Amino acid sequence: MRTIENIPGKNPFKVPDNYFEEVNHKIIASTAGSGPQIKKVVILRKISPYLLAAASVTGFLILSYVAARYFTADKPDSPSVDLYAVTFTEPFVNDIDIFTLEDNAAASELPDQLSGINRSEIIDYLMLENIEINDIYEIL
Amino acid sequence: MSNTSSDENLSELLRSDLNKGFRMLVEKYSSRLYWHIRRLVILHEDADDALQNTFINAWKSIGEFRNKSALYTWLYTIATNEALTLINKRKRNSAISIEDLGSYFENSHEGSSWFDGDKAQIMLQNAILKLPDKQKIVFNLKYFDEMTYEDMSKVLGTSEGALKASYHHAVKKIEKFLGES
Repeated sequence: MRTIENIPGKNPFKVPDNYFEEVNHKIIASTAGSGPQIKKVVILRKISPYLLAAASVTGFLILSYVAARYFTADKPDSPSVDLYAVTFTEPFVNDIDIFTLEDNAAASELPDQLSGINRSEIIDYLMLENIEINDIYEIL
Repeated sequence: MSNTSSDENLSELLRSDLNKGFRMLVEKYSSRLYWHIRRLVILHEDADDALQNTFINAWKSIGEFRNKSALYTWLYTIATNEALTLINKRKRNSAISIEDLGSYFENSHEGSSWFDGDKAQIMLQNAILKLPDKQKIVFNLKYFDEMTYEDMSKVLGTSEGALKASYHHAVKKIEKFLGES
């Protein structure tokens, strides 16, 4: 059987003559006129205390408004509870799926040749292979 | 890899003299990153675009690079993302399919202007083309770049065990393809 060791490992691709000298010049020339985006970070860092203060005031105003509405309104069953439940359900279910998967994988027997490999690494690998989480569950 | 000590000097230079440091960074890494990208996107024009974008993105975000990772793995991560972006764009536009790229290898001949591989290397490249994108990256980084699993784990954000298994699986697939050809 032909193996990859039989194939010489040289690089079979080619580039035009002087390509690397030219592309290096091109890259350096295209960045020479512009500074890296360090200034943005510095500016953001400088104004961050003001942003924080503005966010705190806005948060306080929103909380005050919500509290005022809550204490002054009639109190039927609130639909907003359901809304929060819907918002957080989906990612939480996904987390449970992965934890359940790892628990089940830990409980199941693996073939001898895989005994030295961590089970979460096997799950990582199968996910790297674009295998659906449900299929991994079936396999393990 | 013996990149660590020279990368530390380069990181120092980037802090003390940004322009000179960046020039040295480009000179040191452009060829390695080009070949890494080229093996993924195959065509020279695409690899050229992705390489330039890699360094432009590195330049833009170099202020945020504070030795959180090694320069070497940081640049490979950017280059890999650029190559994947280009491959995904190509898939969406479906201008050139994987089969088309395979036929480029078949139609090329030893000593051609863009590909200089013999028959065995044409078969190897065709086999690599058939791997899923992420597995192709793992195989190339290990087989051609001889990158350690530890560095590869930093580049791809995947555990070393998963990478070892992925490489092993890629080799099996390639050898099966070579055996059938």
